[in-house]
Amino acid sequence: MVDDGAGIGLRAPHYRAILEREPALAFLEIHAENFFAEGGQALAWLERFRERYPLSVHGVGLSLGSAEGVEESHLAKLERLVRRFEPALVSEHLSWSAAGGRHANELLPLPFTREALSAAVANIQHVQERLGRPILVENVSTYLRFGDGEMAEHEFVAEVVRRAGCGLLLDVNNIHVNARNHGFDALAYLDAIDAATVGEIHLAGHEAVGARLVDTHGARVAPEVWDLYVAALARLGPRPTLIEWDIDIPELDTLLDEAAIASRHLQSAADMRERSLA
Amino acid sequence: MSTPLAALQRRFLDAMLEEAPFTPEVAPADALDVYRASVAANLRSALASAYPVTQRLVGEAFFAEAARQHLRAVPSASGDLHQLGNGFAAFLEGYEPARALPWLGDVARLEWALHESHFAADALPFDFAALARVPPEMHGDIRFALAPPVRLVRSEWPVLAIWEANQPGRDGTPGRDAGPDFIVVERDDFAPRARCVDRDTWLFLEALARGAALAEAGLAFGDAMEERLADALSQGIASGLVGSFAAPDPGT
Repeated sequence: MVDDGAGIGLRAPHYRAILEREPALAFLEIHAENFFAEGGQALAWLERFRERYPLSVHGVGLSLGSAEGVEESHLAKLERLVRRFEPALVSEHLSWSAAGGRHANELLPLPFTREALSAAVANIQHVQERLGRPILVENVSTYLRFGDGEMAEHEFVAEVVRRAGCGLLLDVNNIHVNARNHGFDALAYLDAIDAATVGEIHLAGHEAVGARLVDTHGARVAPEVWDLYVAALARLGPRPTLIEWDIDIPELDTLLDEAAIASRHLQSAADMRERSLA
Repeated sequence: MSTPLAALQRRFLDAMLEEAPFTPEVAPADALDVYRASVAANLRSALASAYPVTQRLVGEAFFAEAARQHLRAVPSASGDLHQLGNGFAAFLEGYEPARALPWLGDVARLEWALHESHFAADALPFDFAALARVPPEMHGDIRFALAPPVRLVRSEWPVLAIWEANQPGRDGTPGRDAGPDFIVVERDDFAPRARCVDRDTWLFLEALARGAALAEAGLAFGDAMEERLADALSQGIASGLVGSFAAPDPGT
């Protein structure tokens, strides 16, 4: 189990500092594929972290939205990792990256069609059966829309989660980025989310490139995203929250600062819940 | 009627990986280029992280163009980017603009061996008790196997010296200017390391890696087999290069 507190992404430059300082964090999140090796150093590190923190295993390469299904060899490696480390959370992206055996190794957007919805639901259910546990799927940031969409993004996401029987990893930064890039109301998106399905929240930094917001995971969480996070917590209540930072990785203290801000918001949300129940 | 998802995804990958045009139209149209640039940069950077010395030897721009052409011919085949780059050495050997650097392919081969070693399974303790149970007259039939992190690379060029000279902080001047190099890659406290061994020892290890029985592998030492085979084997086991063995079936 993970407390409704803040965690950070576990990245190699911080391994030693985290083991030496053991900062108070609700969990550590890893990218699954960084630990797909059969042996070696990364897995030995991870054994040390699991003794100290709950783990969240976050996949980036399974391609849950592929029409042709997920690759069994990839799923087998994920299963080996999950069964060995028994993480508190397992998640993947509601996107696709592979077709015909070729991989773009990118979180590519799905068309919001009934066909794509069915494909994602079937793949998620297959993964959950293999892993023997429910997973969380994450709403991704996107830079384009396919012309033949049959529903809005929030309808697509909510319906996938409902039909697959999985949880939602709500990425608040991605909602903000998409709302700006595609011109929708981020708060209306939050209103459409079934609070009971949300098992984790992601926060990250983005950057403006021309008129477009790009989800770089290489900066502090933007003020507008903190505002949207507070709005999400007011609707959902507190949830385990991750600070993601994947490029130009800063000192550990910068991540811990961001996690401390998330913790304060989580505490306020918890206090508010308690008052409303009292 | 919407485009079938499987067809849409194949065409979209053509647009990403082969710079093909994409239909039906997406909005905004220039977003395709955002994805193309991101996909290319991710793949190139994954390849560069497996081949840092190769990149240093040719420079970033040359490497980027070689990577682009190689990935066009051999697209990423896994959702795990650590798998990307198998076959890059062979590509470089046939890559016309790299002809002036005939050792480049072997340097890349050494880097891939180190890369694979890093991710390989941990070696299990050698089973001396089981070895002691094999009757002496059957020793020649035992098939020894190298430990999972061990890789073998040979080159007509001094590629280990070139590799060492191009590590961070080194000025690129190799300590030797002649090969051939017979290289063993092994893992020492999780860190892959490469070292040169003599030709006969390398051929002996290579025969074991191919699955040869001990008596056949020992032929690598030629006339010196009697003096050298026992030592080579016991040193291989003691140093962890030789990790396991399959005993011959006593019934045959």
